[in-house]
Amino acid sequence: MRSTSADLHTLTGAYAVNGLSDTERAMFEVHLARCDSCAVEVAELTATAARLGAAVEFAPPPHLRARVLAAAAKTRQLPPRTARLSRARNLRGAGGLLAAACLVVAVVLTVEVKSTQDSDALAQISSEYSRFSNFLSTPDVKLVSATGPDGATGTAVVSASRDELLFLSRDLPAPPSDRVYQLWLIDDHGPRPAGVLPASGSAPLMASGVADVRKVAITVEPTGGSATPTTAPMMVIALA
Amino acid sequence: MPKRERSLQSIPRDDDRPAEPTADDLLALVARGDETAFERLYDVVSSSVFGLIRRVVRDQAQSEEVFQEVMLEVWRTATRFDPGKGSANTWILTLTHRRAVDRVRSAQAATHREDHVARLDPARPFDEVSEQVDGRIEQRQVRRCLSFLTDLQRESVVLAYYQGYSYPEVASLLGLPLGTVKTRMRDGLIRLRDCMGVTG
Repeated sequence: MRSTSADLHTLTGAYAVNGLSDTERAMFEVHLARCDSCAVEVAELTATAARLGAAVEFAPPPHLRARVLAAAAKTRQLPPRTARLSRARNLRGAGGLLAAACLVVAVVLTVEVKSTQDSDALAQISSEYSRFSNFLSTPDVKLVSATGPDGATGTAVVSASRDELLFLSRDLPAPPSDRVYQLWLIDDHGPRPAGVLPASGSAPLMASGVADVRKVAITVEPTGGSATPTTAPMMVIALA
Repeated sequence: MPKRERSLQSIPRDDDRPAEPTADDLLALVARGDETAFERLYDVVSSSVFGLIRRVVRDQAQSEEVFQEVMLEVWRTATRFDPGKGSANTWILTLTHRRAVDRVRSAQAATHREDHVARLDPARPFDEVSEQVDGRIEQRQVRRCLSFLTDLQRESVVLAYYQGYSYPEVASLLGLPLGTVKTRMRDGLIRLRDCMGVTG
């Protein structure tokens, strides 16, 4: 297992070469939308990466040309964005913010939406959206990732100024039927419970009062969660 | 058809040469539904697009699939291209790279990517690039600028970009901490940017 902590700012290079996971990319894009210096650097590094792409050119098989052109002739183009939509987006912060935050929320809520009334789900998406995008836009957020068994990933986003932490997991294997995943915040006094991960395993948890927290961990616990961990952690993320 | 021809001819040209519209000119026309401009854009960018996909995806049949998806996406989303945010070439190749990497990662998720990563030789991709990047001025420049990077910077950038590896996979291959790899990718690209005189 590996984990590390980095300022979101240093992710510009990994972002430009497409080296981030979907979750990290979405989080970074939310941050990017409100970080002008990041945006300039990302534009430059993306253009630089594209030069690497142009350097390996190789002609496609000639028969694809007619096929692509025929497909285009039958495909309706997306409508352009209108001024009104642009203003709406600007109100929310800037360019890619909406799409990026929606991706975060989509990652987060996909499974829940299926099991909830639509109106409830939409209300939840809307409120979660602003909660997460606000949090991810905090200037001092740090992203800490770790990989667990079978390629599962855990990502913690920590803001010292807000004294809050967001935890998001991807690709956790389904727990046994009478078990759940539980998140723990570990400080010098030991672990304290920070909530049970929903059955889907991909919804976020937010926790506050995290100033002294050194690590977060995931354990498998009986349904309903435990007051103290009863199994060895399957994933530990060091925050510093 | 006369309407399309007129729109292409409206592009400024040198008096003594036939018009050679840039990808930016053509993409602007494609955004207005100009199929003739799309044909010409295809001829201008298809080798870059296919070459990059082939480099990342490797498999010929899959590369052809991704190529067709990407070219159709260029047509479909040309209306969303914002020239204020970068060039048409950058926009198209960024889209291309993302789709190629998506394909590789979804395929890898099905197999066992850890094993796959462990088998690969980290020295190989740059050697292959070096051999191939030998033709045009732009390619020689890429090769020259890559040679100014430290080994770790170059390997981090090349493995991520040409192999489509995530930075944790690059870290695993190179036996480095994740934070180090992120920094090397950024430092390497900054050095490339300065060497190539890229302004974004």
